[in-house]
Amino acid sequence: MVDYEDRDEEKENLTVRELLTEIKDISEVIVDLAYAALLFDSQEIGAEVHHLGARMDTLNHEIKIRMMLASRTTQDAVQLSGLLQVAEGAAAISAAAGDIVGLLDLNPKGSPIVSLVLKEAEEKIRLLTLSDRSDMGGKSLEDLSVETETGMRIIAIKRGIRWIYDPEETERLKEGDVLVVRGTEDGFERLRRFTSGAEKWPVYPEED
Amino acid sequence: MGALEDMLLEIKDTSELMVDLAYSSLLYNNRDIAEEVYQLDSRMRELENEIQEMAIQNATEDKDIKKALLIIRLAQSVGEISNAALKIADVVRMDVPPHPVIQLALRETDVIITAVTVGESSDLDGATLGKVRLATNTGMFVIAIRRGRRYIYGPDQHTTMMAGDTLYARGPEDGEQYLKDLAAGREHFDPKDLKL
Repeated sequence: MVDYEDRDEEKENLTVRELLTEIKDISEVIVDLAYAALLFDSQEIGAEVHHLGARMDTLNHEIKIRMMLASRTTQDAVQLSGLLQVAEGAAAISAAAGDIVGLLDLNPKGSPIVSLVLKEAEEKIRLLTLSDRSDMGGKSLEDLSVETETGMRIIAIKRGIRWIYDPEETERLKEGDVLVVRGTEDGFERLRRFTSGAEKWPVYPEED
Repeated sequence: MGALEDMLLEIKDTSELMVDLAYSSLLYNNRDIAEEVYQLDSRMRELENEIQEMAIQNATEDKDIKKALLIIRLAQSVGEISNAALKIADVVRMDVPPHPVIQLALRETDVIITAVTVGESSDLDGATLGKVRLATNTGMFVIAIRRGRRYIYGPDQHTTMMAGDTLYARGPEDGEQYLKDLAAGREHFDPKDLKL
């Protein structure tokens, strides 16, 4: 059951636009995390997938209520039902991610086919450790723009025993961080040159 | 790799392409792209069936039931993702245009979708995606190319871009402007970035 007290306090501030944005964001990162959980046989990452799945359900419930309150005419209702359908599609993606994590019970480590497939996919999920020789340590993700520079998206960071999932732009990398990244082979090789310290992170002159 | 691995790879890559295309079709209210999601879905169904049959066939030989279950369930979950993509793309096929909030919301996500046109003075004109390492250099991953009335969906490293092409790409917001500038010919690649 949904706690309405909680709903009123916390989510009244989110607009429908914001709700849908978050729903779409979750639908993307949750699939990458689910595959990462399988690839690295990690119940911890799996737990985060379930946590995000619960958040997805809450957001979906919230957006449904908003749509019902907002509908005034038939035209409204048709358009809003389309919007709801998008939210439901995103929720179905997150449910599928939950099912993928459920495969951990079948001991995927014992069947290398799954990790083989995930490693061969067009966009792969890989691990990288930030070397103390790399100059990326201490910089925030915002400063680095890792994805623009290398095409690789950081979906999670393991720092000591702690996990940071879908890290914020303000997050600063630290040496020893294990990065879970997603992208092409070529981008991975580029990023590895920087994380290993073989190459300096490029700095561009400030515009404007 | 065996046929089973190849098919699993194909459904995984296809399911991701379908989701990207579904969101793109919504953002641009584009029925052609939505239609492609439908086409890809029928390919997904075929593959899913073949995977199931082959996994069971293998299990009768090697008696590895868990492996078969794992493969079948993975294929099923990936299939659910493609179903979800279909649901999303379906909104474009309704009689009314998608609610404007959908487009606003999609513009604000962590991963955005953009459409850029390749100009004649662009480095991209005549280059393959692999040669200019477009995904690595810009962070933007091309999911479809529109050439005249034709589309190339899920292009690969060997696909050549041409002046006049519209590239539909997914990536971080700060990669969008660089891709636009490259496509317009306002920016050019640094030769060292093209070396593999």
